[in-house]
Amino acid sequence: MHFNPALLFDYWPLLLQGAWLTVQVSAFALVIGYAAGVAVAMFALMPGWLPRLAAGLYIETLRNIPFIILIFVVYYGLPFSGIRLPATVAGTLALALFVSAYYAEIVRAAILALPRGQFESARAIGMSPVQAMRHVVAPQILRALVPPSTNMTLTMMKESAVLSSITVPELTYQSLVVQGNTFAPFEVFAAVASIYWLIAIVIAEFSRRLERRVGAAQIESINRNPIAERYLSLVARRA
Amino acid sequence: MTAPPVLRVSALTKCFFGTAAVDDLYLDVHEGEIVALIGPSGCGKSTLLRCLTWLEQPDDGFIEVTGKPFGRELTNGGVVRRHSRREIDALRPKIGIVFQQFNLWPHMTALENVVCPQVVVLGRPRVEAVRRGEEQLARLGLAERMDRHPRALSGGQQQRVAIARALAMDPALMLFDEPTSALDPELVGEVLSVLRSLAEVGMTMLVVTHEIGFAANVADRIAFMDRGRILEEGPAHDIIAAPREPRLRNFLDLVLANRPHAIPGTRINKTE
Repeated sequence: MHFNPALLFDYWPLLLQGAWLTVQVSAFALVIGYAAGVAVAMFALMPGWLPRLAAGLYIETLRNIPFIILIFVVYYGLPFSGIRLPATVAGTLALALFVSAYYAEIVRAAILALPRGQFESARAIGMSPVQAMRHVVAPQILRALVPPSTNMTLTMMKESAVLSSITVPELTYQSLVVQGNTFAPFEVFAAVASIYWLIAIVIAEFSRRLERRVGAAQIESINRNPIAERYLSLVARRA
Repeated sequence: MTAPPVLRVSALTKCFFGTAAVDDLYLDVHEGEIVALIGPSGCGKSTLLRCLTWLEQPDDGFIEVTGKPFGRELTNGGVVRRHSRREIDALRPKIGIVFQQFNLWPHMTALENVVCPQVVVLGRPRVEAVRRGEEQLARLGLAERMDRHPRALSGGQQQRVAIARALAMDPALMLFDEPTSALDPELVGEVLSVLRSLAEVGMTMLVVTHEIGFAANVADRIAFMDRGRILEEGPAHDIIAAPREPRLRNFLDLVLANRPHAIPGTRINKTE
């Protein structure tokens, strides 16, 4: 047997098409999933047991079933409630549902890590919960959110490979097609692995930039040495 | 008819798991008055302050701020009506609170800490909010520190930013939670002078404190709290010189045994 990547020559467009769909599906799942995740996190933090219970059920349900089963349930379950969606849409929704549970946990943990007094002082001065979240809590947790969210986004992008099992023509699905036509599995999957790798690298680089940008204001104040600052301010007062 | 007290607390009760932290408590604070609330740890002082800002929801009782009911009210039909979140938030700026740990927002500069709530809560135009913020900060001696972030300020400066933040909302009443406890002992005098300067412009204040000497120095009236109730209250002088309640006497003995020069009754001369 010889390693012969030239076999793939005719199939590049198919693979690229699949890669593009993978990117699109992941991007939609990221946006929808994050919005849902933030909403669920807010529910989880509301006073009272009912919203907390609802959020807990949501998170635990989605975290505790295998992703492929979740896809099947969404794809084959929706028609029962009279909703017939194309595989790609159903798959994207399933993917969004799946990540939203994890995003919710990330957001919830970041908010809980902030001292409670921050939210309370905003409330005590008259801000509504939404205003307090927006002006006081959110700016302080954005930077902390980026690394774990990136991790989850990378995982989610890779999990999108499972959508091939409900015939969504994304990268993995196309690779199976190409493999069937060429009978050269190693060449095909090596190529597909590199494409996934490339997409992941791009996401990681994007997140690095985002982290730098979001954190710009905070880095400025963190980089200053607080002890030195305090010393200088005390000296300045004496003078 | 005389004006209603700035703060009127009646029959306030707050239980934690069956234990009353605040137990059927009554307290009036009149305009321009400084009332110090003293008492042993765990007597419910901080819980009371949290109830007064509705951060903790009292189980029973009523709070009135400048005659307006806050949180719940007794309607004409004798039915207790709970206020909506919006109604509560609308009255909250009237009650300024300075927390023990100040709780400044670290991602904003000192000035922005003071400006942001004015714009967000009161809807003031930014220009006006900035003008008022600068005015308040300058009055508290922070003119040179406005563009610093809280972490670049000393404890005393942070506290004054927190005071400015509350004052900029035009409160009718200021609450202070242990204003001396998070600061170096040498700064206590500074806090005292800040509170005195607020008193000069007629601000009404309720100060929760452990430091009996501080209470004696700053307050017109002292209220002694124990087990969720106010056991004794009266002019600062009388309370310390001639406590009637045995528990207050005990408390004073204990505090004074530790720091014999904390309350030199003779050295306090508020009239001078």
